[in-house]
Amino acid sequence: MTSAPAPDAGPLIQVEELTRAFFVGGEEVRALRGVSFGINRGEWVAIIGQSGSGKSTLMNVLGCLDTPTSGRYMLNGKDVSRMDDDDLAVIRNVEIGFIFQTFQLLPRETALANVELPLVYRGMGAKERRERAKAALDKVQLTHRMHHRPNELSGGQRQRVAIARALVSEPSMLLADEPTGNLDSATGEEIVKLFEQLHRAGHTLVLVTHEPKLAARCPRAIRLSDGQIVADGPGPEVALGGGHGVGPQAGTA
Amino acid sequence: MSLRQRFRVDVLEGVRIAVFSLQANRMRTVLTTLGIGIGVATLLAIVGIIQGLNSSFEKQLATLGANTVFISKYPWMIKGNWWMYRNRKNFTLEQVAQLRAQADFITAISPAVMRMSDVAHGALQVSNVRINGVWSDYQAIGNYEVVSGRFLTRADEEVNRAVAVLGADVAASLFPSISPLGQTVRIDGRPFQVVGTLGRKGKVVAENMDLSVFMPFKTFNSHFGKGRPMQIAIAVADAGRMAKVEDQLVGIMRRVRATPPGQPDDFNVNRTDSLAATYEQLTGALYAVATGVGLITLLVGGIGIMNIMLVSVRERTREIGVRRALGARQRTIVLQFLMEASSVSAVGGLLGTTVGLGTAKIVSLVTPLAADVRPSTVVGGVAFAALVGLLFGIWPAARAAKLDPVEALRYE
Repeated sequence: MTSAPAPDAGPLIQVEELTRAFFVGGEEVRALRGVSFGINRGEWVAIIGQSGSGKSTLMNVLGCLDTPTSGRYMLNGKDVSRMDDDDLAVIRNVEIGFIFQTFQLLPRETALANVELPLVYRGMGAKERRERAKAALDKVQLTHRMHHRPNELSGGQRQRVAIARALVSEPSMLLADEPTGNLDSATGEEIVKLFEQLHRAGHTLVLVTHEPKLAARCPRAIRLSDGQIVADGPGPEVALGGGHGVGPQAGTA
Repeated sequence: MSLRQRFRVDVLEGVRIAVFSLQANRMRTVLTTLGIGIGVATLLAIVGIIQGLNSSFEKQLATLGANTVFISKYPWMIKGNWWMYRNRKNFTLEQVAQLRAQADFITAISPAVMRMSDVAHGALQVSNVRINGVWSDYQAIGNYEVVSGRFLTRADEEVNRAVAVLGADVAASLFPSISPLGQTVRIDGRPFQVVGTLGRKGKVVAENMDLSVFMPFKTFNSHFGKGRPMQIAIAVADAGRMAKVEDQLVGIMRRVRATPPGQPDDFNVNRTDSLAATYEQLTGALYAVATGVGLITLLVGGIGIMNIMLVSVRERTREIGVRRALGARQRTIVLQFLMEASSVSAVGGLLGTTVGLGTAKIVSLVTPLAADVRPSTVVGGVAFAALVGLLFGIWPAARAAKLDPVEALRYE
């Protein structure tokens, strides 16, 4: 396991009074209603909440796939809340490693080619891409399957390919959306173990989930409800117990 | 990372994705390609055949000579009442003499009469031979090459000799193994002594120039009768002065034929160069219509490409979402789909080029039309097809790039 990028001073993520409103059928739906928190380098944070709590919207904003309606989002010292589409694409490429519930691998490409993809969009030459992708696959112990296509891999292997793809660009944050949601419990456990390793190696991990058990494995958890933070504290407490760290109001688990 | 390097990687990736996607949907690719292919094939076959027509016509004109004029009762391109032309008074040798005496820039002049007849030697016979009665000057006017013996002479004319000069095909057919020189051929039953043979001329507008025999003008008349209308063939010194020469010839002819002022000419001055102009007008219109048809076919093909690209964008919505999440910018996505659209079209173009050239080739084999396909046409065909794909790919590509990454990732 290689180490994550060297920690700089200050939080990696700082969001202030983040809101996001959608218009559905002429009606305004406020998915995020003033969310503020910070995440330091090397932290492993779960964002938990039930469906409709705004956690997916928050994940999209944190992943720079979406922009907030108001508020500020500082990522690695850059204000990304007002960036244009091209700049956001670069930020996604450089700063963020996505891990999706449905893996989101390109079905026609081999594992190796899938892992190479972020580097393609960085404009890196084929040879260097290949070497880095192999190294990333080595981190998830999948070099022996690198010439296979996703449909020739098991669910756990697919998610490991996806994790390798997230790692290959050496991002400042790994952003995982229900990473074990499509896996059986044994395989899910494998993936969680992999996350623990990555955490120990110094990577910053943000994990979005609705499963309390998974969130309880994280050192810190933030609970969302109705677009607001209702609890922020140690994972087991926020996820399982009635305890709720510094939330502005009592959570409804 | 420099912009150029980045663009290079983007293009390479675009090509790779395009190849992938074309392989993955082979049947669809083939069908889409077919649309463009047919368009290109149509266009190429037409262009090839017309180019062939043009170049063979140019060659034919060259054998006629660019600086020749034929004065005749009939225009080469007859418009209107054929009887009017037929009822014009025949030309006379006196008029030929007047022309020779009065016109400037004339280097050779000859009356010319013609009939079709059989020519025989022993048991061998050739049918439908053009028998021409001409003066010795005709060799220079018609640009004939003598390969053995001699052409007609002034002496032949004066003493009314029964001599003949054979065209290449006539000589070859009647004298497969011996020299025709000094031999006797029978034309319409009458004996003529062969004094020379001509080099090969090929065809001029479907007329085989080598299936002909030349004899003195006077000899022709004494054997086949004087009533035939003659043409007056003239070679002019300077091809650049044709228009001026024509005016002069018209003036002289009107005077010697005593055409009253105000009356139209009762003869036509036919110029090989004006024949070319008429021809170009004709084929130009044909060209325009055929090109239009080909372009419409290509348009239809292009719409096919657009349709299939829209389907492709829809099918790959999630893939687009993934690529965007991993850092693909909008223009990268646009480039990717444009590459794909133009590759399909270029493949179609290549296919169409092959079929089109093949068609042109077959046409030239089974018909007298000679297809002439230039390398520039091939390159143009493929490039043009790719361009069509590019144009019709723009809208689907833009749609792909405009997809919201969040929505795209969620698309089922």
